[in-house]
Amino acid sequence: MLEARLDTANLFKSAVDAIKDLVQDCNFDCNDSGIALQAMDNSHVALVSMMLKAEAFSPFRCDRNIALGVNLTSLTKVLRAAGRDDTLTLKAEDAPDVLNLVFEATAQDRISEYDLKLMDIDQEHLGIPDTEYAATISMPSAEFKRITTDLMAMSESVTIEATKDGVKFSSTGDIGNGSITLRQHTPVDKPNEAVEIELSESVALTFSLKYLTNFCKAQPLSNQVKLCLSAEVPLMVEYGLEGGSYLRFYLAPKIGDEE
Amino acid sequence: MARTRSKGGPASTSADKTVSTTTKAASTSTYTLSAESTNPPKLFVLPKNTSSSVRIITLENPRYGNPTRYLVCPETGSFYEFTKAAPPNKSTPRSWLLSSEKSEKEPALESQTIQSPDLYLATPYDPLFLLLPVLFKSSSNSKSDNLQRQYLSLDDYLDLIPNTDRHFSEILTLPNSHVEKVLEARLASVCDLVEMGDDKMYRPNESKLSTIILSKASKMAEHLPPSMEEKFIKKALEAPVMGVVKDQPPPPPPPTTSTSSPEETASPSASESQSTVTTSSGTTPSTAVTTPATEEAPEPTFAPAITASPATISLQRLRTSLNFILSSYLPPFLSKTVLSSLPSETFTELEEYLTKLSKLRTEAAASRNLDINGGKRARDEDDDERLEKKRKMEQEEKVKKANTSRGVKQLAKVNTAGMMKLSAFFKKA
Repeated sequence: MLEARLDTANLFKSAVDAIKDLVQDCNFDCNDSGIALQAMDNSHVALVSMMLKAEAFSPFRCDRNIALGVNLTSLTKVLRAAGRDDTLTLKAEDAPDVLNLVFEATAQDRISEYDLKLMDIDQEHLGIPDTEYAATISMPSAEFKRITTDLMAMSESVTIEATKDGVKFSSTGDIGNGSITLRQHTPVDKPNEAVEIELSESVALTFSLKYLTNFCKAQPLSNQVKLCLSAEVPLMVEYGLEGGSYLRFYLAPKIGDEE
Repeated sequence: MARTRSKGGPASTSADKTVSTTTKAASTSTYTLSAESTNPPKLFVLPKNTSSSVRIITLENPRYGNPTRYLVCPETGSFYEFTKAAPPNKSTPRSWLLSSEKSEKEPALESQTIQSPDLYLATPYDPLFLLLPVLFKSSSNSKSDNLQRQYLSLDDYLDLIPNTDRHFSEILTLPNSHVEKVLEARLASVCDLVEMGDDKMYRPNESKLSTIILSKASKMAEHLPPSMEEKFIKKALEAPVMGVVKDQPPPPPPPTTSTSSPEETASPSASESQSTVTTSSGTTPSTAVTTPATEEAPEPTFAPAITASPATISLQRLRTSLNFILSSYLPPFLSKTVLSSLPSETFTELEEYLTKLSKLRTEAAASRNLDINGGKRARDEDDDERLEKKRKMEQEEKVKKANTSRGVKQLAKVNTAGMMKLSAFFKKA
């Protein structure tokens, strides 16, 4: 039996919104530590990993490990019925056929309840090791979103180059080229706008912009985004949430000739 | 001489092959493998009652004209041809493992493995076949007229036999050689004979040849190997079941002169004139044999419309055997001559049956076509199931498409060349 209540549906809505553009169907793995999700896109070059810890919910109850196989498009349709500030309660039996969602608008005393049919999904789980990245860049998530959208106009791929001076996003395409450089700065009064670079060695990698713009749909989740890079390993884009919960994306770098 | 051959032996590099095999192959492993032999031994099954003077000679193959090896025992005058028995299933690797028991007579053979799984069988061969090309050659142009042929002596004919390697003449001149006597006897069986004093003169006679070939064929027909029986007799004579409509199985593939089936080569080897043995060249399909099988594709039957009488079946057997002999042992020009000089009524009964059969088959095929076009009659259950499955698949596909987000669809278009799969970085949990 699962019962998990979120104070605002917004968190779950945004997370599902970002994931649904990457994968079609996936399992929400529920256990007593929280709700986790791991899935790859169809091409298997990107991976999304979500962890909503039990602390993010109040209350949270999960007696047994339950895998909720969900079609994310269907889930989005249901979540569309939830207001941003509604409380959201997820409920499921131990061997569930359906996921029960309840939205409560506290101000209006309105309760809506939906049952979403579940499906059996065969998924391979990858073990993701803890990696010491050569460069870790924290920046405003809105800034990252803007950069990816802007560079999309130039090319399908972006080279992210992290040096001790700053981080440079550059794209070269048919119509020309463009680049955006961010320098490290930490305004005391506005911590949300800080750009921080932790660097053990310079690194430059190229990624598919289409995937990155897709990741940026998770922007409402968090004010800050963390990019972690190391040569020849996947980029990690992390949207950190309160209480150690997170939504992470991994993307394989483009190696070899750039077309 | 190291003949051992091993698979994946680390030591047997190409360099080692050339080096004398007594030098140990350079290798770091504990056990060194002796180098592969460049000329691996072959395995033969040879006839028992042969003298020590037995030879393997190269002669022109009477059917194909290529040099072919024959085993000849001069003292008995018997000829043997070699048949290669290949394993029935080519995909499974096989090898020979040889080891010899201790015997006083012969030195013990070194135990060894032979990579090639082939086995060569020496089977009796009628030397008449060797004579046929020279006997009938002269007449091939002048449209078989017995009267125009000359009487020649045995020696004249023997001189005509291609003898490039001098193997043949050597066999004839060996002491105690009975080859010439045997050849003469075989020659006499297909020729008209005129005695002029001590000299015997021969003139080839086609009707005699036909009789001999026919008797060989009927002998073979008594012992058809099961594989041929199935393919050329049972299937060729099977009648379609009327009323029940089934997908017609494809006609049997042309037989690749079934060198592989050992039972075919082994069984009736007792008689000198036996002809079930296949040629070791083994690639030429016996085209004549296939014709009855291909023109009437067999069908699975429960209650066939007509059944072949025992006489018809034995005639079909005879024809199959005859076609086999004609297409594997006789020179091509002679095959036609023999066929045309057969009594015309030999296969009448069989022909009648086959005409009836092909008519029935056309009808069956026509009624099936009607079914497909009209679509009124109940289809095959298989067909129905397939359609059902297809429909289901399409439906599922539709649902899937409807449940795919725009983002996922767009990502499918992204060029991911040069991007490694994540499973290359992260291992499965």
